[in-house]
Amino acid sequence: MNLLDTLQITASGLTAQRLRLQTVASNMANARTTRTEEGGPYKKQTPLLEAVRDDPFGTDLDRAMSRVEVMGVVESDDPPVMVHDPGHPDADADGYVAYPNVNVLEEMVDLMTTARTYEANANVLDVTDTMATTALEIGR
Amino acid sequence: MSVGLFDGLHQGLGQVLDLRMSQHTLTAANLANADTPGFKAKFLPFDQVLGAAVNRGKNLMLRATHERHNAGLGVNTQAPLVEEIEAAPWVADGNSVDPEREAVRLKQNATMYGGVSRGLGKRLALLKFAASNGER
Repeated sequence: MNLLDTLQITASGLTAQRLRLQTVASNMANARTTRTEEGGPYKKQTPLLEAVRDDPFGTDLDRAMSRVEVMGVVESDDPPVMVHDPGHPDADADGYVAYPNVNVLEEMVDLMTTARTYEANANVLDVTDTMATTALEIGR
Repeated sequence: MSVGLFDGLHQGLGQVLDLRMSQHTLTAANLANADTPGFKAKFLPFDQVLGAAVNRGKNLMLRATHERHNAGLGVNTQAPLVEEIEAAPWVADGNSVDPEREAVRLKQNATMYGGVSRGLGKRLALLKFAASNGER
């Protein structure tokens, strides 16, 4: 394990959080979308994160260090939110409109934790830089 | 046995730097996986790792060696033990990464890294001082 591996791991963390932010943005933007290409209302999207080991044959220490990867984005199966609004063009026979199963409050909380985790990873990047500089100054 | 220019202390300090860098990478991995379901936070238990290294040095002290061989401190950095933190039972996704704990470990580890590398630098400066007949 060296400095470059550390940077790779931190980069993977930053990427994962950025993708998570994108799904949050998509969910927020489509919180009231009643039409999609597949038909029906928009469904809440969640990224699937997985810890990936780079070096499965190394020592215990090498195997303990894993990057994070976004393995895909899944759609929530929760039922849509039914709102009585007979004037809406997408209302059903009983006058109910199926709105997306997106909870804006939940998305806000997700947004905040995403930002904090991104910050934490960026902080690691800073410290890695400081440590590298310190190491280069040995013997100076 | 003659003590070479770069004695066991140099090696020992270098190995401590290696271990600290490994701990740094572990912290980076923990924070990268802060949202990965089921991920267990990992760390190097430094008191044990260094303690084991010191005890190993005591028990298996190299009694005799070829004069050109480097004795070292007996620190083995090849396979240090890694400890995992179990998630609390009420955590729904089984992830045991605690950002505050990781932030403290990050800073603490970087400080120790800086201290050890400064110590190593001072030691090299001593050698330089001696090699230059006391001139700077």
